Amino acid sequence: MLTTLKAEWFGNIRADILAGLVVALALIPEAIAFSIIAGVDPRVGLYASFCIAVVIAFVGGRPGMISAATGAMALVMVTLVKEHGLDYLLAATLLTGVLQIIAGALRLGELMRFVSRSVVTGFVNALAILIFMAQLPELTNVTWHVYAMTGAGLGIIYLFPRIPVIGRNIPSPLVCIIIMTAISMLLGLDIRTVGDMGDLPDTLPVFLLPDIPLTLETLWIIAPYSLGLAVVGLLESLMTATIVDDLTDTSSDRNRECKGQGVANVVAGLFGGMAGCAMIGQSIINVKSGGRGRLSTFTAGAVLIVMVVFLDDWLRQIPMAALVAVMIMVSIGTFSWASIRDLRRNPLSSNIVMVVTVGVVVATHNLAIGVFVGVLLASLFFAHKIGRFMVVKVDELDGEGCRRYRVVGQVFFASSEQFVAAFDFREAVERVVIDLSQAHFWDLTSVAALDKVVIKFRREGADVDIRGMNEATETVVDKFGIHNDPDEVEKLMGGH
Amino acid sequence: MDTIFACIDGSTVNNAVCDAARWASARLAKPVTLLHTLEKQAQHGADTLSGNIGLGAQSELLEQMAQLDQERARLAMQYGKALLETAVARFGDDHSEPVNSLLRHGDFVETLVELESQARLMVVGKVGLDHGGQFSAVGSHIETLLRQVHTSVLIANQLFQPPQNFMLAYDGRDTADRSLARIIDGGLLAGLPCHLVMVKSGDSAREEKLQAAEHRLTEAGFEVTSALLEGPIFESLQSYQQAHEVSMLVMGAFAHSKVRQLFLGSNTIRMLENATLPLIVLR
Repeated sequence: MLTTLKAEWFGNIRADILAGLVVALALIPEAIAFSIIAGVDPRVGLYASFCIAVVIAFVGGRPGMISAATGAMALVMVTLVKEHGLDYLLAATLLTGVLQIIAGALRLGELMRFVSRSVVTGFVNALAILIFMAQLPELTNVTWHVYAMTGAGLGIIYLFPRIPVIGRNIPSPLVCIIIMTAISMLLGLDIRTVGDMGDLPDTLPVFLLPDIPLTLETLWIIAPYSLGLAVVGLLESLMTATIVDDLTDTSSDRNRECKGQGVANVVAGLFGGMAGCAMIGQSIINVKSGGRGRLSTFTAGAVLIVMVVFLDDWLRQIPMAALVAVMIMVSIGTFSWASIRDLRRNPLSSNIVMVVTVGVVVATHNLAIGVFVGVLLASLFFAHKIGRFMVVKVDELDGEGCRRYRVVGQVFFASSEQFVAAFDFREAVERVVIDLSQAHFWDLTSVAALDKVVIKFRREGADVDIRGMNEATETVVDKFGIHNDPDEVEKLMGGH
Repeated sequence: MDTIFACIDGSTVNNAVCDAARWASARLAKPVTLLHTLEKQAQHGADTLSGNIGLGAQSELLEQMAQLDQERARLAMQYGKALLETAVARFGDDHSEPVNSLLRHGDFVETLVELESQARLMVVGKVGLDHGGQFSAVGSHIETLLRQVHTSVLIANQLFQPPQNFMLAYDGRDTADRSLARIIDGGLLAGLPCHLVMVKSGDSAREEKLQAAEHRLTEAGFEVTSALLEGPIFESLQSYQQAHEVSMLVMGAFAHSKVRQLFLGSNTIRMLENATLPLIVLR
């Protein structure tokens, strides 16, 4: 216990601190940009990023993952902020945290296995598209200076790392921001800067309870948003955890991560920050920079607040164009380009799930709805596919004029209609044998379908004899408790 | 329950571990499996602090890191194989029991815990690779190992000579009686002269059990010298073993509860740290 704690915190000190620094520098523009997306002062996002990063470093279930104020969450809260203001957002953040803690206690992290790969890809792509779209207001109705600066900024971000030695050791987004700020100040350009977007922090965050009426009405206002925030936050956090797991070839504690996200959001809400979650882009940057332990996340949060508080006069001067360039980089880095390449190779159903997930998110600006639709669609496709694993074989009439049907495969809601249609009720026979010994009945729909078949045959004057009923319906009960016993599964699935 | 697992890690005690395993294997007539584990090193990623992510950043980084890991793991595997071959060769052609080697990925203690159901005895070196030349330090894994496995463990020191006798530290507690039973049933120490040593603790009921213990051992065919020492536990045992040319120590593990150990330290750990002789922790 003590040794794991030590390894998770101090197993990798030098690299963790360096990576934490790089991440902190990248977090500042993002936190500002996401605050602007949500429609609140940059202060709210910066406080949130500090609180969430520092708290999750202690309570998270995935060392080395970066959590802070995120675009996915910001998008969900836009309407709430617009209609009810900041205090309701802070209250919603608190409730989000509580919901996430409950989710963690109920071990809902395990539900992630129902979210298929195509849905995850769709989520990630939709997120990238939304982050990109959120930059567009900064690029419309502006002078050519803004376009030039954004273009130059992107050039710096992608070309600077090609310079030998210093390119590998100085974060290029930081270089972009410094150069662009310097140019804008030197030339005295009249373009929008971070200072125009609202208050920046000049002190450490202070504890405050949101100023809202504690009524049921308030709860009804914030509950839908909190639920959406909780779902989106957990989804993105667990997805990011999987990505970090894959990159570092280690494993994470999902339920602890759920509870940790909850605690972090509660703290953020109490210190004037907006709800946040794990960040895919930042976590990749952290791993790429060598960050592996909890110390990297902690450093990112701590350095962020120190820099923000002491450098607020300079932060004010950063032109929005430079931020836009950084955010375009984040959106490009988040987008899964492989998913576009693989469109031709992947099955159509997976592509539809992915594209629909993206489409729904972009249309509703709510990642939770997109994931819900994606999961639903994926399940339907799956049910449809499995439903085709069912045939009813018809044997030759035997000497006594008895017709024998043999049912093979999976009978359930998706295949029961096909099951009923497979019998020839028009045939005038006196005796029908239905052999179910190679079939599996999964639900009540399939049992009802069988009843229907039997009654139909009886009405046509036939006696019906069902064989292998008990074995076939073993799968109807909800609890098998055999998934760990290969012999039992073999017995059940291999015919009786 | 039939194999002697000997852990090879490339440190200076490897030869002693092999010799101890060879001795135990011959006495118990059980096969030996030499085990080397490849522990995962924390990788440092692509080690760029450029802080930017471009097209397909995730898949590109995954590919880079997987490649680094692959290269490292290949080297470690080659090294591990060479170590095991050398170790197998040390057993020589005249060793009558089969000697196998096993190379596994993972943490050394976790691997041993997994293999425990097949183990009769585990042989480990006192100084792990991490400690370099500091001989007084207990191999970083040994304490964790002793807490997690329920198999007897033979801890080899710098040199291993087949022991001529052994000393059992007996305190009259239940754990000590269980150790006694293990010695009698086990066969590893059969026929070796035994120094049955107890340190006075002021609890006369326990001290009376010393004679009973001596009697049990004598009945089982051991040649027993028993002694009741006075003074602090650790120092008395230390001076006794020097005075009587003891060549192997035998003890039960961890008489105290975990919480008490945390504050008091345990005699087991102290004995381990200071032992210059091979030591068997019985379970």
